[in-house]
Amino acid sequence: MEGRRLTFHLAGINNQNFLMRDDETGTYWQQITGRAISGPLAGRELKLIFSDEMSFKLWREEEPGGRVLAAVSEYASKYEAKDWDVRMQRTPTVIQFREQGMNPRDLLLGIRSDHASRGYLYDRVIEAKLVKDRVGAEPVLLVVGPDGQSVRAFHDRISGYEDAPDFYRLNSHEDDGAVMMDAPSGSRWNFQGCAISGKATGICLERVAMLKDYWFDWRNYNPGTTVWGKRLQ
Amino acid sequence: MAAVVWVCLAIALFCVAYPLYVMRPFRPQGPRELQAALAVLQYREPITIICTMAVIVAAFASGRRVFAAGTVLLACLLAWLARVNVYEQIMFHSAGRPQFVDAKEAQIDSNDKLIVVKVNGNARAYPIRMMGYHHVVNDDIGGTAIVATY
Repeated sequence: MEGRRLTFHLAGINNQNFLMRDDETGTYWQQITGRAISGPLAGRELKLIFSDEMSFKLWREEEPGGRVLAAVSEYASKYEAKDWDVRMQRTPTVIQFREQGMNPRDLLLGIRSDHASRGYLYDRVIEAKLVKDRVGAEPVLLVVGPDGQSVRAFHDRISGYEDAPDFYRLNSHEDDGAVMMDAPSGSRWNFQGCAISGKATGICLERVAMLKDYWFDWRNYNPGTTVWGKRLQ
Repeated sequence: MAAVVWVCLAIALFCVAYPLYVMRPFRPQGPRELQAALAVLQYREPITIICTMAVIVAAFASGRRVFAAGTVLLACLLAWLARVNVYEQIMFHSAGRPQFVDAKEAQIDSNDKLIVVKVNGNARAYPIRMMGYHHVVNDDIGGTAIVATY
């Protein structure tokens, strides 16, 4: 923060989202927003780094030279079990926001753009494999990876092409790793959002930050959010 | 003198107990009480030190040795508890200085989910099953300080 390295520790909880405290200033930060809520740096925000949630298999294929956090042996027995997400679905929440047909633990992918926020129901995105939508006035594209569980979001426009891209999904097992094609350039694109063949070869789509979260938490920090894929009542 | 002792102990107890009461898991936190709890956390270390010193002086000035010993012990205990981070020292534990292994050596199931980043050309992955316990990992990727959270 402002050239000063901060060291963070788990320090509290706020409606099931945790708080961190930095050693250097004693400021308390909300994890989900990266915003300081109390202390000398109150009001400041940490800079968000692009991240993905991916299966190990798919990530290893993309980044064979990558490095993985090693288990701390004395705590390894306390790490989450394989079915942690199933168990978490059954865990009660302290705030609900039962609105828009949503349940507190509905899993969604949240995007903020153009002063708007929108949550995409995760199961529906996985089912659709490719979603073309808008967040505010910003056209976005959500793409499911070849592993059938990882999702990335991009700005739905191709640099240098004025026409709307009109992407469509390919089969999940294309030999060249392509997951979609676009109509205007006839190019094939991989899950990293880069054209690997066709007129747009070498061009990469611009990433959009996306957060995988439960409805109650996403709604708590995005009170005006809309929802894509909600179940009909 | 006894009144001073009890008041100081009550203040110290409040400093320890109030943040824990407000920030209990599975309890909603209102914005005002949260700010109050964080303010108590911010100042409780010096407050409990002052309370302990006041208890020492007042308790021994009372002339009651057993009373003095007991209340000073209690004040010291509360001052120590005011320095304990329950969330990181009891409920969960820090990953400390994180260690990493090459992707090809990682003992992780193929379907396990990771939080992945790429900073300065360096790809790093934080398994969610580990992050669900540690919650916070302070890291340095290619000279850039980051904190991975889950």
